[in-house]
Amino acid sequence: MTTSEREYETLSAMMDGEADELELRRVLDSTSSDPALREKWRRQQMVRELLQNRRISQPTVEVSSAVTKALTGRKSAISNPIWSMAVAASVTMAVVLGGQQLLVPQSNVMEGTLVSDVVGGVVPVLGAQPVQASLGARSLPVAGRQMESADSERREVAAMYERLAQDRYRNLGRRHASAAAQTHPAPYISYVRSPAASAEKPPLQ
Amino acid sequence: MRHWWERCLGALLLSAVCLSVSAQPTVPDCEVATEPEQALVKLLNAHRDISYKGTVLYERADNRQFLEVAWPDQNASNAPRQGTLRRLNATVNPQAEFWPSAFVPKDRVCDLSKFYSVSLESSRVIAGRLTRKLVLRPRDTLRLAHFVDVDVQTGMALAMVTAEPGGKVLERFEFAVIGYRDLPPPEVDVPNDVPIARGRGVIPGYFVVAENHEQGVFVVSDGWATASVFVEPLSPTAPSGEGAVIDGATLTYTRGTRVGGSGVLISVLGEVPVVTARLLADAVRSSGSES
Repeated sequence: MTTSEREYETLSAMMDGEADELELRRVLDSTSSDPALREKWRRQQMVRELLQNRRISQPTVEVSSAVTKALTGRKSAISNPIWSMAVAASVTMAVVLGGQQLLVPQSNVMEGTLVSDVVGGVVPVLGAQPVQASLGARSLPVAGRQMESADSERREVAAMYERLAQDRYRNLGRRHASAAAQTHPAPYISYVRSPAASAEKPPLQ
Repeated sequence: MRHWWERCLGALLLSAVCLSVSAQPTVPDCEVATEPEQALVKLLNAHRDISYKGTVLYERADNRQFLEVAWPDQNASNAPRQGTLRRLNATVNPQAEFWPSAFVPKDRVCDLSKFYSVSLESSRVIAGRLTRKLVLRPRDTLRLAHFVDVDVQTGMALAMVTAEPGGKVLERFEFAVIGYRDLPPPEVDVPNDVPIARGRGVIPGYFVVAENHEQGVFVVSDGWATASVFVEPLSPTAPSGEGAVIDGATLTYTRGTRVGGSGVLISVLGEVPVVTARLLADAVRSSGSES
């Protein structure tokens, strides 16, 4: 197998989400010096987007440079705002009234449960369909192929945020442990729960 | 551009909402009269009165750890006191990790009684000590349930189960061996329990106990359960969404959203149900946003 063939194979694996980080970095290095490989990546990305969304959003965008940028440097997304916590009164009311049913496992939510089918845990909104509190109400019923596409997209996003949750648990767990130990009657348990001490890292971008 | 009076009105409304919650009495009119409440007081104050060393078994899904815990650390001469923890099945000659004693304000038991139904149930012997089972059942859906086997004599938690309101066990621990000694007075006169101001309520029963507005870090607690909320930048191209993972009793919930033109990641870590984490994420506000 030639080097180019191997690069193409890795590229295909990458598009299928099966390449590891080392392979990804190797392909990225190669794309910087190989216009053909870069062009192939761009075409594969277009095909993938067509299959998923039935349209191409930005056919001229070079994915490789964007990915390289994401891997090599962090972007400052927030210009130092001041954060606070306020009372979300309406949502609180929703929980008081129907909170029991809000404890729907994530897996059940992701299996295409229509919001309007969720029994309890819904907030009646005047003149509108019921909306599950704080879920974002993305699962309104749509027919056929569109719904499949939306479900697939939603599952991908949910999987991404689950990975982010695991990442934040590993990186912020110790900080939470030191806070939780202040109120727990067995303070050491908070530290036992948290992952082993490690340097704190920012979230994956 | 918003007019100054609009800003003032907004701030005033927010203050009024916060005040309406925080205006509840700081020291509830609560008489600790029942046996379960007295057991709860004894449990919360146990670390003030005794010194101990023991071996603990901790279990959660796919994770079992044997631990050596000691309170306070006999080698540390400086106050404030801290305990030690060694994970016996992690490495050879494991290094000590340190932990502080819990914060025990005098009205905490009254707060807990508001949001948990407290009862005393069966007895059993743990590590050669007689215990009574103290049960804290949540009165709403924003909390987990706790079953604590309390040493009748010392008030120490010798075993504990944390479970979902539906009864599913999330984690448990139990002492295999424990030895007590009298706790001598601290050599240096430093308050052992650093008072944490109980701030405003953000969702029912949960109060802000620590916050850093610039860093976007908040800690809330109901007196037993604690949740930490972190606000961090996220790639502006990231889609909005949410996800959660649970490890034992600790839930990590993430939500990606947009504030202005920027992406923001809100992470909630805590021993709380998903619904509580969602509500806490809902409560996060930015000075630069209209949400």
